[in-house]
Amino acid sequence: MKIAVMSCIHGNYAALDAVLLDIDRQKAEKIYCLGDLVGYGPHPNAVVEQIRSLNIPTVQGCWDEDIVEGLSACDCSYPSLLAEKRGNIAHEWTNKEVNPEVREYLAQLPHTYKEDNLCFAHGSPSSNHEYLLPEMDAFTALERVLSSDADILFCGHTHVPYVRTLDAGQLQVKVRQPNQNEQPTVSFNTPLKRIINVGSVGEPRHGRPNATYVIYDTETEAVKLREVEYDYRSTCTAILDAGLPPIFAWRLARGLEFAEKADDPTHVCER
Amino acid sequence: MIIAVTSPPGAGKTHWIHQQIAQVNKPVGYFSPQTDSIPIDAIYLQSEYPQLKLYQTGEEAELDKTTTYLEIPWYLDLAGIEPLLQTFDSHRVAIIPEDTDSTELKTWADEIIPGDRIIKATTALQIHRGVLTGEILDFDSLATFWLELTQGAYGEVVRAKGIFDLVDGQIYYGDFRSGKSALEFKPLNLPRWLNGKPDRQSGFEIVGSNLDEAEIAQTIRDCCVPESAINYYQQQVKESLATELEVV
Repeated sequence: MKIAVMSCIHGNYAALDAVLLDIDRQKAEKIYCLGDLVGYGPHPNAVVEQIRSLNIPTVQGCWDEDIVEGLSACDCSYPSLLAEKRGNIAHEWTNKEVNPEVREYLAQLPHTYKEDNLCFAHGSPSSNHEYLLPEMDAFTALERVLSSDADILFCGHTHVPYVRTLDAGQLQVKVRQPNQNEQPTVSFNTPLKRIINVGSVGEPRHGRPNATYVIYDTETEAVKLREVEYDYRSTCTAILDAGLPPIFAWRLARGLEFAEKADDPTHVCER
Repeated sequence: MIIAVTSPPGAGKTHWIHQQIAQVNKPVGYFSPQTDSIPIDAIYLQSEYPQLKLYQTGEEAELDKTTTYLEIPWYLDLAGIEPLLQTFDSHRVAIIPEDTDSTELKTWADEIIPGDRIIKATTALQIHRGVLTGEILDFDSLATFWLELTQGAYGEVVRAKGIFDLVDGQIYYGDFRSGKSALEFKPLNLPRWLNGKPDRQSGFEIVGSNLDEAEIAQTIRDCCVPESAINYYQQQVKESLATELEVV
């Protein structure tokens, strides 16, 4: 079965519309969404209403969580003072804009969603604020997949798509005990695991304004990263019309994202 | 002896003066008219050459006490600076990019130096300056702003330079010329400032067209560390430096 997985729409309705059209052309039978439906972009309500109307299984992203629980959920994850100030502006604007039904919908979204050997999370199974970057050390990456009890972990949050295969994973644990020369060693192999980051629909960070998502075939296990052109200029105009900072539109048009990833990618907010 | 140097913006005046100072083996001075509020080039050169004598407005009569490089900003009228040059024994240097038509500079100069190629602005140039003395900037914020600035987010920029006090206590020199790919920030050879708001000059100068000065000013403000947090950051840097010393 062909499935489509998307993430990080960030209130960009034009991008979502183009991706849904592309999914239709790809003949995917089911769609999943990894959250961050709102934040930064000018159409948070329209995006949520579209996702709801299509009954797309969706997990909660960090921006969705912040709109429900307040910004203090994780304002410590910004990489710079400037990014934090811009994030605050986007949060305040979105917080005023979203209607009660949308807020209610975002509040009931699960942190992870599991189906067969597939797990869907926004950041990681540990936290929707955690960045699973492709260069993350293999041990930690494998631990994140194992903790999901799945073979394939779909995530977003970094806004840059990638596929990482963790094959022939062998874990070896040595326990050092005081007053004992022998160190008991436990080894075990793990089956092949994969992390598939689906990129971002509405806030790309790969240097082009195009939306990205993933088509996955559950039978052949083939992964297709899709990059979809859309009328980003209409979103830029809507950003300006909404009174959001013009720099948001400037960055969107260049695929630079509105803010940057956190300084500490594996940061897990403890607030 | 006064060596007066001028060029279009970004053609390499300060760079050329820097090279000349390195070759001079006697007291050298530097003066750049109408830059007292933010003497970016003067601070940069003195950090490279601590013995360099800096002259300020009002000290023109003393310029011949050293071999003095007089850097004439491109926006100054050469006729206006002529009386000063007539007062002293002077040598006039014009740094001119090959593809630049500059009859006035060629007529004025005793010596022509080939300059760096510059990208010509499509409309009239304007200058936007900001004084940041006393402010401490967050480096990641500054880097983001600088990238946006130099890629045209706030107007067409042909030249940008600045001196910035950062959280680690160091003062950095930022330098951008349109058409040059290098994005340069480098710490100046000056003492770290880790005791409250820095009491030394810092600021920036941006040359370009259609500059959104209000947005530039607001974004720079957003890069500044709040006064209430300065002590917290400086204590962290002090502790970190102390740990490094112990390890060494």
